[in-house]
Amino acid sequence: MEEKVPRSNIIETEIPMGTVHPAALEPYRVRLFVEDEVVQEAEITIGVNHRGIERIMEGLPVEKANALTEKICGICSNSHVWNSCRTAEIGLDIEIPERARYIRVIMGELERLHSHFLYLAHGCETVAHETFSMRVFYLREIVMELLAMIGGNRVQYGCPIIGGVRPRCDLDEAKLLRIKNDMDKIEEGLTGFAERFLADSILVSRVTGVGVLPAKQAIKLAVTGPSLRATGVARDLRTTMFEYEDFDFNVVTQPDGDVKSNLLMRVFESFEAIKIIRQAIANIPEGKVVNRDWEMFDTDIIESYIEVPRGTLYHSYALETGRIRHCIIRTPSMANIGAMQYACIGDHITDAQLSIVQCDPCFTCTDRAIEIIRR
Amino acid sequence: MGIKSFSRARAIHVMLVYTGGCNGCDIEIVNSILSPRFDAEQYKVFLTWNPREADVLVVTGPVTHLNRKPLEAIYEAIPEPKLVVAAGSCALMGGVYKNIHGDIPSEEIEGPVENIIPVAAKVPGCAVRPQDVLAGVVTLLPTLLDAD
Repeated sequence: MEEKVPRSNIIETEIPMGTVHPAALEPYRVRLFVEDEVVQEAEITIGVNHRGIERIMEGLPVEKANALTEKICGICSNSHVWNSCRTAEIGLDIEIPERARYIRVIMGELERLHSHFLYLAHGCETVAHETFSMRVFYLREIVMELLAMIGGNRVQYGCPIIGGVRPRCDLDEAKLLRIKNDMDKIEEGLTGFAERFLADSILVSRVTGVGVLPAKQAIKLAVTGPSLRATGVARDLRTTMFEYEDFDFNVVTQPDGDVKSNLLMRVFESFEAIKIIRQAIANIPEGKVVNRDWEMFDTDIIESYIEVPRGTLYHSYALETGRIRHCIIRTPSMANIGAMQYACIGDHITDAQLSIVQCDPCFTCTDRAIEIIRR
Repeated sequence: MGIKSFSRARAIHVMLVYTGGCNGCDIEIVNSILSPRFDAEQYKVFLTWNPREADVLVVTGPVTHLNRKPLEAIYEAIPEPKLVVAAGSCALMGGVYKNIHGDIPSEEIEGPVENIIPVAAKVPGCAVRPQDVLAGVVTLLPTLLDAD
C-alpha cells in the first residue's frame, strides 16, 4: 500500500464544514482542501466545547473528583470513573475484591457493546442506510436497559468507587440471568446484522477502499483502539490489564484499514465482548463488592492506562491530603484526530465525512486541555 | 383548528444543538426521536439539522464561551413560531461545569441557556431520559399550534 503524501503547495479550493454540522453531533471544524473534488489535505480543529474539567478536578477530594470524571464523556462514562478509581487504587495500594473486578469487567464490556453499536448506527447513517442504523439502534437499546438496570441511569452509571463497586451495583441472581438472556438476544441480532451487512453488495462496495489508513501510518500517528486494530496491528491493552487475566478472548484485527474494516472490526469486537460477559457471568465469585479497609496518604503522580471502547485512556494525578493535584486526562480521540485527517486524503469529497466517522470521533471528551486565547 | 395549525401538527421538526455538555443527553435525545424503541416519528415529530425548517430547538450543554455565538445564530435562523427546550441539568443550571468550588462560577461557561435565548420548557435530568424529552416537546405543542 503506497503512502499518501499530503501536498505542500497551496491548494486554492477550501471546503470548510462546521463547527455545527448535521453529520456529526459534536461541534468541530474540518477544512478540506480540494482539487478536482479529491481531498488533498484535511485539517480538523476542536476546542469549541472546552469546559476545563481538569481544572475543576484540581483540589477536589478524590472521591468527588472520581464522580466528576464521569461527566467528561457521555459515551464512555463508566471507563472514566473506572480508570480514575484505578489510579487512586494503584497509588494507595488498595486491593479490590474479586467480585468487584468481575462486575467492573461486565460494566466495561457492556459499555464497549453500547459504544460499538452507536458507532455502527452512526456509520450506517453516514452511509445513508437508515434501516441498518435503526436495527443497530434497536440492539443498542437492549444494552442501554441492562446498563440502566445495573447503574440506575442510562448514561451516568457511577458504578466503580475506590476499593470496588458501589453496593447498589451488585449483581444478584436475577440480574445475572437477565444479562445472560439478553446476551443471547444481542448475539442473535448482531449475527443477523453482520450477515445482512456483508450480503448487501451495494453497501459493501460503498465502504470498501474508502478512507484507507495504512498500518505504518497508523503507528506513526499513534492511533489507538479499534481504529488501530482495523489496520492489522494487534495491540490491545486488555491483554496486559490484571482485570482481564481470568478471561479468554481474542484480539480481533482487520487487514485493510478502510471503512469496511472499521465497521467489521466493531462487529467482531462486540462478539468478543459478549464472550467476555458470558465468562464473567459463569464464573463470578461470591463475596463482598467493596473494600473499605484502606487509608489515605500523600502520593507521587500516579498513572493508569486502560483500554476503553475507543482506545487507550490515560488518567494521572497526585494525591495531597486526600485531594487531587496535577490532574491530566488523555482520551483516545486525541490520538485518533491524526488518523481522521489522514484518512480523508486522496478520497472523494463525499467520502470525507465517512472517513472522519470511521475513526469513531468523540470530541467531547477530547476538548479539555486546550488553551483558549481570547481577543 | 386552522389549516396552518392542522398542517403544522403533522410535521413538527425538532433541531438539536449541542453546546458543550458531555454528549450523553444528545445521544439520548437523538435516540428518543430516531430510535425504534421510543420513536417520536410515529407522533409526526421529526429530527432535522436545518434551522430553517425547525419548529422546536432542543439545547443541551452549559453553553461554553465559543458556543454562544453559534447558538444565537441558530436561534435567529429559525422562523417564527419557535420554541426552545433546555434539556439536561447543564442546560438548566450549568451542571457540574459551571458551579465549581462552591459559589464561584466557571469563566468558560456562559450558560445556563436561559441567559442567552428564551427557554419555553425545561427538561431536568443528568442525563435526560428519552421519555422526559418527549414529554417536554409534547407540552410545547399546544403553544406552537396556537401561535398564529
